[in-house]
This record gives sequence, structure tokens and C-alpha cells, in this order.
Amino acid sequence: MESNAPSRLTAIALTFMAVIWISPFSWLILNAFNPLSTGQLEIPRAVGLDNFAQAVSGNAGRQFINSMMIAAGTATLSVIVGISAAYPLSRLKIPGRNAFLWTLVLLRMLPAAGVLVPLYFTAQRMGLLNQLGVIIALTVLNLPFTLLLLKNFFDTVPIELEEAAYVEGASLFQIVTKIVLPMSRAGIAVVWFFSFTGAWNEFLLPLIFARVQDAFPMSVGLYAAFGQQGAINYGFLTAFSIIYAAPAVGVYFLLRRNMNTGFAGVGVKG
Amino acid sequence: MSDVSLKAVRKSYGVLEVVHGVDLDIKAGEFVVFVGPSGCGKSTLLRMIAGLEPISGGEIAIGGRVVNDVPSPQRGIAMVFQSYALYPHMSVFDNMAFGLKLAKTPKAEVEARVREAARILQIEPYLDRMPKALSGGQRQRVAIGRAIVRNPKVFLFDEPLSNLDAALRAQTRVEIAKLHAALDATMIYVTHDQVEAMTLADRIVVLNAGRIEQVGSPLELYRNPVNTFVAGFIASQRMNFLEVKASANGLELPGGRVLALNHAGIAAVKTLGVRPEHLLLADAGNADLSGVLAVVEQFGEYALAYAELPGGETVTLKLDGAPALEVGQDVHMKLPGEGLHLFDADGRALR
Ligand SMILES: Nc1ncnc2c1ncn2[C@@H]1O[C@H](COP(=O)(O)OP(=O)(O)O)[C@@H](O)[C@H]1O
Ligand SMILES: [Mg+2]
Repeated sequence: MESNAPSRLTAIALTFMAVIWISPFSWLILNAFNPLSTGQLEIPRAVGLDNFAQAVSGNAGRQFINSMMIAAGTATLSVIVGISAAYPLSRLKIPGRNAFLWTLVLLRMLPAAGVLVPLYFTAQRMGLLNQLGVIIALTVLNLPFTLLLLKNFFDTVPIELEEAAYVEGASLFQIVTKIVLPMSRAGIAVVWFFSFTGAWNEFLLPLIFARVQDAFPMSVGLYAAFGQQGAINYGFLTAFSIIYAAPAVGVYFLLRRNMNTGFAGVGVKG
Repeated sequence: MSDVSLKAVRKSYGVLEVVHGVDLDIKAGEFVVFVGPSGCGKSTLLRMIAGLEPISGGEIAIGGRVVNDVPSPQRGIAMVFQSYALYPHMSVFDNMAFGLKLAKTPKAEVEARVREAARILQIEPYLDRMPKALSGGQRQRVAIGRAIVRNPKVFLFDEPLSNLDAALRAQTRVEIAKLHAALDATMIYVTHDQVEAMTLADRIVVLNAGRIEQVGSPLELYRNPVNTFVAGFIASQRMNFLEVKASANGLELPGGRVLALNHAGIAAVKTLGVRPEHLLLADAGNADLSGVLAVVEQFGEYALAYAELPGGETVTLKLDGAPALEVGQDVHMKLPGEGLHLFDADGRALR
């Protein structure tokens, strides 16, 4: 209050921080929209979407679609398998169910590389060295967390609500789809989002399972793109990075709204 | 409207039996209240009638049909839960329409029945709201409305008022009584609150530790409790129980005075019961009991005086108006000619 000095100092410090934070992003954006990009932090002389056009066509475009399929497929399969297993785990008095869940989670703490070899040979035997194989493998690896999260959400749905629906004539399937799932939609959204971004960023599994250019997702494609055309094509790479990052950001904003509303158990007590 | 009959109904959880053979006939259109202390098995009994708990033994019939193996939705019952169990992600309308929609009722009829129930319960303005935007009393009505729209033969209530504050509870109690008169349906109502039991019931079923202690109209239970448990439980002020010694010419009261009494079974009397509202103030000369006033609670319309007898027992008196009493003063009491309850060593009433 007495003096402006501290706030001026703060402002300078904040500006400094902002520059540090923002400069990589501005570099990324300036280069991505500059068709004549050289990799320098400079004001582009021409602005255009040529880099983006390049990054969504041909190989890069196919990689985007591959990534989408792997990420959305893994997220959706994780949610479906997770729900089918977590609901009974939440409702049935299975002895040792918590110990079982935590054991699964602890096992998952092992580095993924540790299970890669058996996973690879299993997939090879089953003829699943393809995208479906990646989706199934990632779902299996996700399952402990998916189960734990969804079970905890289902636990918060009061059993009396299910009983009320049952008395009113709802079948088990109707109870789950009309009561339990809508009330757990925040939890389902979280699981879907984490599985999606996890699978989107996954590098090792698709690299080993796919092994052909056509099946690479963007994570692998980005790695392969370095030095592919002799010199590094900064414009293409920056545009590619932005597209690579976009879905995760988009999904986050889409689901954030969902997460703020409707946590289970709200507004039952008088 | 259906009658409900229970024959030797039992319930066990593993080796633990919590309901020990209950026999009860509920007539069509009757309002029956199960009352008893917490944990006595009221909810369990109700849930067995609802079909939410399997029956371990005996037989339950609704409308003449044995329903032991009939799933809940086909029993013709509707249940109102203590927590209301409203679906928080559905509007009030959808909450009330849920069962009808499941039964594939035509849309126009769903609309009509929900509106009619909402009109009866005066919740029409809230039909589009979500449950979390309602007060406790309003949620309670929605829960009852959800039961009404299904037009059940038997309504089951499990402590429906226990989450409401005192004023709202009294008001809703009156409305449930009106509703029973208007709907002409069989209602089974569970509560641990004897005031709700007294005011609502056609017949009260007093339960204790998984057994029926007594079944009767509120006044029957008030006037002729069959044992000390019922005598102590039914009434707003607990009955006074005095240890007495039977002698040839009467009962020797605490303090040594003898109450002259003519009764065939007088030799067996161990406990004398008298309700606080029946005890009278008296002079030292003609008193049956004397003690020191320990506490007095003034309610304006009446007062409760707690007198401590020389032997250490506390006796409660309910006195009309606002008597001028001071803590520490001597109180002399006279037993009434009528309204005395005699119990034997096992607590059974002697008539
Ligand atoms: N699922 C259960 N498993 C074991 N015991 C139970 C279960 N449900 C209720 N009980 C026991 O049964 C008895 C009656 O319970 P309840 O009917 O809920 O009593 P209340 O009269 O308070 O409604 C209690 O002693 C309670 O502990
Ligand atoms: Mg109960």
C-alpha cells in the first residue's frame, strides 16, 4: 500500500517469467504458421497454413488417424471393460477384493518394459501385432487404475437408489445404465480422458507392435520425422507438434465441464 | 388396496437371527405402524415385505397371494426410503415418472399421473427442478409422489420423517394422515418415534429385539400395555415404574407407606406402573409417595417435575399449567384410583 516498488518488482519478475514460459510456445506457433520457417524465433514474412496442410496429408495424416484410433479405441475399451468389472467389484462382497485391486495396481508399477516381451509374444501368437493389438494391450495395462477409479466412483452411488429403481421395476441392466452410470459420469469421463491421453502419448508399444510406416501413430511418426528429409523441416515439425498436442487439450476442455457438474451422491440427504 | 399377512416370518444374517417369527395380519386399507427401538428389526421386516431382503423362514402374503418368491416389482408395493432415494441426475418429473416409463406406460398417461400426484402433494411448481434444488420437505414429497404415481396396493414407509426438522415433521405427519384418508390404501410405516406411531396408526405393532411385543390401537396400547417394555415405550413421557412389595392388605411402596389394593394376583406384583400425567400432587398427610424436587421443566401449558424418592428412585409428574414449584422443596404425591399398572417379576402386566 505505502509504495509501488514491490508491485513494480513483481511485475518485472512476472514479465520475465512470462517471457521464459511463452517464448517456446511463440517459437512453436510462429514457425508453424510460417511457410518459410527456418527454425529461428522471428516474425514470419509470410503467414500460411502450408505446414499444417503438410502435417495432415500423406503419411502424417495417416499417423493422425492411427493415433486417433488407438487413443479413442483404448479409452473406450478401457471404460467398457472397466465398468463391467468394477460394478460387480463394488457391489458384491467378494472376500479380499481390495487386496486384489491394490495388488493389481502395485504390479502395474513395474516398468512397462518389463512386460513388453511377454506381451509381444502373446500378441504374435494371437495374430494381434496390429492396432487392435495395441489397443488391447494398452487396455490391459490400464485396467488396474481403471478398475480402482471406477470402483471408487460406483461405491459413492447409494445402494438405496438402486433398491428404489429395483422396486420400481428396473432390471439390473437398466439400474446400471439409467442410475449408476449417469451418476458416475464424472468418473467415467476421468477414466476415458486418462486412457485417451495415455494411449495418445504411448510410444514403445505401437513402435514394437506396428513396425510398418502405415501403422505408426503420431508419437512414433514424430520420432521418425526427425532428419527424414535430410535437413530438419522446422515448419512441418512445429505444425505436426501442434496437431499432436491438440486432441489432449481439446479432450481436457470438453471433459472439464462434465467433471465440474454431477459428482455422484450430490443432493440425496435432507 | 390389499391385505398383508405375515406368518412366522424369520430373518437370519448367517447364524444371527434378527427377526424371530413374526405373525401379523394387516387388513386392506389399514394404516399400521411398526415401532420399536433402533436395531429391533423394523426395517428388516419392512424390506422383507418389499422384497428387498430374502425371507429366511415363514410366509408373506399380499392380497392373498404368497409373495415369498415374487420379485419386488410384481408385489404391488411402493416404498418411501428414509434418505428419499431420489435420483439426483433426474428432474422431479423424471424421478416421479421413472417407474411408469420403465413399464412402458403411454406418454400422456405418465404426464397425467405425475401431474395428479404433484397436485395432491403441492409440488407442481418444482416438477422441472433437480432434487438438489429442493428443501428437505420438498424432497420428501417427491419421494412420496414417486410412490403415489405407481398406484400401489401397499405403501411402505421406512422412517420417512426422520431427516426433517421438528416443525416440518409435525406438518408432514398430518399430511401423511390426510393422504391415507384420501388414497384409501394399505400403509405400513416404520418409525422409532412413538409420537408418529400414536398419531398416525390405526394399529401399532410394537417390536423389540426381533419380536412383536404387542399389537393394538394407540389407545389400547396406552391404556393396557401388556408388559413393562410397551408401557415404557408408548407415551410421550415414560411411565414411572416403582418396585413394590406385595403384602396381605396391599402393596408396600418405596418410602414404606402401603397402598391398599384388592387384586386377585396381588401376591405376584413386583412393579407398579403409573404414568406421569396420572400422578397427583397431595399434602403430606394423605400422600402415598414423598420426595424432593430435583428438576422442574416448565413448558407453559404443562410442567414436568422430577422428584427424587428417599430410596434414590426418580418419579416424573406431569402437571397442568405452570405450577409454582422450587427445586429442593418437598413433593408429596398421591396415586390415582385408576390408571395404575401392575407387573409381575417378568414385567408382564397383571389384569
Ligand atoms: N445386512 C446385514 N447383515 C447383518 N446384520 C444386519 C444386516 N442388516 C441389519 N442387520 C441387523 O439386524 C438388526 C435389525 O436391523 P434393522 O431392521 O435395520 O433395525 P431397525 O429396527 O433399526 O430398522 C440389527 O441388529 C442389525 O444390526
Ligand atoms: Mg431402520
